[in-house]
Amino acid sequence: MSTPLLSRRALLAGGSVLATTMLLPRHALAAGRVVTPAYPGPWEEAYRAVVLPAVKKTADVDTVITPLLALDQVAKVKASRATPPLDIFMLDPGPAVVAIEDGLVDKFDPARCKNIANLQKTFYDDWGVAVAAQIVGIAYNPKKVDRPKGWKDLFDPKYNGKVGISGFGTTFGTSSLIEISKQYGGSLTNVDPAFEQLKKWLPNVAVIAQNPVAVNTLFQQGQMDVTYTNYQTVSTLKGRGVDIEFVKPDSGPIAFYTTLHVVKNAANKDNAYKFIDTVLSTEVQAALQKPPYSLLSVNKNVPLQPDMPVDIVKSHAELASFIHHDWTKINPNRAAWIERFNKEIRQ
Amino acid sequence: MDRAVQQGDPAIAERRAVAPREREGLLTLPLALFFLLFFLAPLGLLAGISLRVTPQFAGWGPQQYAKFAGDAFNWSVLGQTLLLGVKTVVVTACIGVPLGLLFMEAPRRLQPALLFIIVLPLLTSVVVRTFAWIVILGREGLLNNVLMGLGVVTTPIRLLGTELGLVIALSQIEMPLMLLPLISVMSRLDPNLKDASAALGAGRWRTLFRVTLPLSLPGLVAGCLLVFASSVTAFVSQTIIGGGRMVLMPFYIWQQATTLFNWPFAATLSMVLLVSVLAVVTTLNALGRRTRALAAG
Repeated sequence: MSTPLLSRRALLAGGSVLATTMLLPRHALAAGRVVTPAYPGPWEEAYRAVVLPAVKKTADVDTVITPLLALDQVAKVKASRATPPLDIFMLDPGPAVVAIEDGLVDKFDPARCKNIANLQKTFYDDWGVAVAAQIVGIAYNPKKVDRPKGWKDLFDPKYNGKVGISGFGTTFGTSSLIEISKQYGGSLTNVDPAFEQLKKWLPNVAVIAQNPVAVNTLFQQGQMDVTYTNYQTVSTLKGRGVDIEFVKPDSGPIAFYTTLHVVKNAANKDNAYKFIDTVLSTEVQAALQKPPYSLLSVNKNVPLQPDMPVDIVKSHAELASFIHHDWTKINPNRAAWIERFNKEIRQ
Repeated sequence: MDRAVQQGDPAIAERRAVAPREREGLLTLPLALFFLLFFLAPLGLLAGISLRVTPQFAGWGPQQYAKFAGDAFNWSVLGQTLLLGVKTVVVTACIGVPLGLLFMEAPRRLQPALLFIIVLPLLTSVVVRTFAWIVILGREGLLNNVLMGLGVVTTPIRLLGTELGLVIALSQIEMPLMLLPLISVMSRLDPNLKDASAALGAGRWRTLFRVTLPLSLPGLVAGCLLVFASSVTAFVSQTIIGGGRMVLMPFYIWQQATTLFNWPFAATLSMVLLVSVLAVVTTLNALGRRTRALAAG
C-alpha cells in the first residue's frame, strides 16, 4: 500500500485542532462585544475609523460592524426574532417605522445614555435616537455639465443622457421622487406626476441604478453626471478626487435623521446602550462630522460650522427648516410605488 | 477438514461480498443527512411559506401562485430571465467550443498554464469581476474608448444597463463553467480516432464535425447546464450591470423579500424560478444522456 499524503492520525489531529479553534468563543478575549450594522460605504468607513476605537476606549467593548442597508437589517432580524443577529439597528425614517410597527425594536431608555443631555428633545423618542442628519439634493459633475438649480432641471433637454435615477428602494430615492412629484402638482402621498414625467423622459435617462452603492460607482465611472443623492455621499466621493458638487434644490433640500435603536431580544443590550452613548458623545460626533465623513452632528456642543460649507447648511436651526417627510404617511404607499416603478421603468 | 470451510460457505461468501457494499452505502449517510438538514428542510420551509395567503403569514392557500399567474408582468420577468440564460449559453458555447479545440491542440507543456487562465475568472470574487465590467462597459469605459478611438462609433454606445452588456459580462464570468467540462471530455477522446478517420479518407473538417464534436457533446451539454443555471441566478451581475431597467427574477425575489417584506410572494417567485430552471436542466440532462449513448454507440 502506498503511503497516503496525510495519515489518518495526522488528519484527525489537524481536524480536531481546527474544529476546536472554530468552537472557541470569539469574544473570549474582550470584556464584551456588540454587533452593530452600518450602511455599506461611507458610513461603514466612518464608524470603523471613529466609533469602533472610541467604544473600545470608553467602554472596553469590542464592536463587530456588519455592513447592511436599513431594510436588509430589518429582514435579517425579522427572520430570527428570538435570537437576532444584531444588537443595534441603524435606520432611516422609513425602515424605522417598519421595524417599530413590526415589534422588532426595544423601548429606548434615554436615561441609560448620559450624552443624551447634549441632544435636543426632538432627536429622541421612545424607540430610538438620532445620530446624524442627512441632506438630500442634487449631485452633478461641474467639469461636464452646468449647475442644475432644482428638480425640474433633471428633465431639461440639456441633461439628456446624463441623468441617473434610482427608485423607491432607498430613502433618498423615495424622498427625491416625492419632491419631483410636488414640482408637477403631486404631494407627499401622490407621486403620479413623477411617474408621468419619468415615463415621458425615460429614453433620455442615462442609467437607472438599483442600489445606492451602484450609484456611487456609476457616478465615478462617468456613467451619469447628474443624480439625486445624500450630501454625505457627495462629500465622500469628493474626498476621493471625484468631480462632484452638491446642489440644494431651489424648492428646498430634504433633511432626515438616521437613528440608532436597540434590537428587541438583543444578546448584548447593555453594550448596545454603551455603544449608542459613545456615538452621541461630543468627541465622536465632532469626528464624524469632519470631511470626508460629513455625518452631520446632532450634539448641541458640535456646531455644523465650520465643517459644513456655509452654502449647504449653517446651523441646526437652518437644518430644521429643510423639508422633512412624514414616513408614517409614505410607508403605506411604498410597496405599490416600488411595484409600479418596476413595471413602468422596465424596457 | 470441514467441507464447508474448504469449499467456502456460500452464505458467508455472499455476506462478505455484500457487506462492504452496504458499508460503503453508509458512507453517504453524512452527506445525505447534510442535504436533508440544510437543503431539503429549508426548501420545504420555502414551499410552505409560498402557500401563505398574506405577508403576515395568515391562512394557507395557493393565492400567491394565482397572483403570479394573473399578472403578465411576472411572466415577462420569468421569460426574460430564462432567455438571458439561453443567450449566455449560446455565446459561451460558440466561444467555448473553439477554445476547447485550441486547448487540445496546444502543446502539452502549455496546457497547465492555459488551464490556469481558464479557471482565473473563478478565482476572483464575483463582486470584483462585476465592478471590473462596469469599468469596461461604461460610457467612458475601455470598450467605448477603443471603439471611438478606432472610429467605429462617434458617440459612446450604451452597454451598461442593457441586455447586450449583461450577456457580454456574464459570458466571460461563466466561461470556465462551459470550458472545464468540455475540456475534460475532449481530453479523454482517443487520439487514434482522429488518425483512423484520416486513414479512412476524411478531411480535417469532416473529422471535426463527424468525430470530434459528436464525441464532445456530453461535455458541451454539461457545460450548457452549468452556465444556464448559474447565469439565470447571477444576482450581483444582473443587478449591477443590468441596472434598474431590467427586472430579472433574482432581483425581483430580493426586492419582494427585503424591501417589501412580502415573504410568501418572494417564496412563490423562488419556487417558480426553481421549477423553471429544473425543467430546463432536466431537459438538457435527458439530451445529455442521449448524446452519451450516441457517443458510446
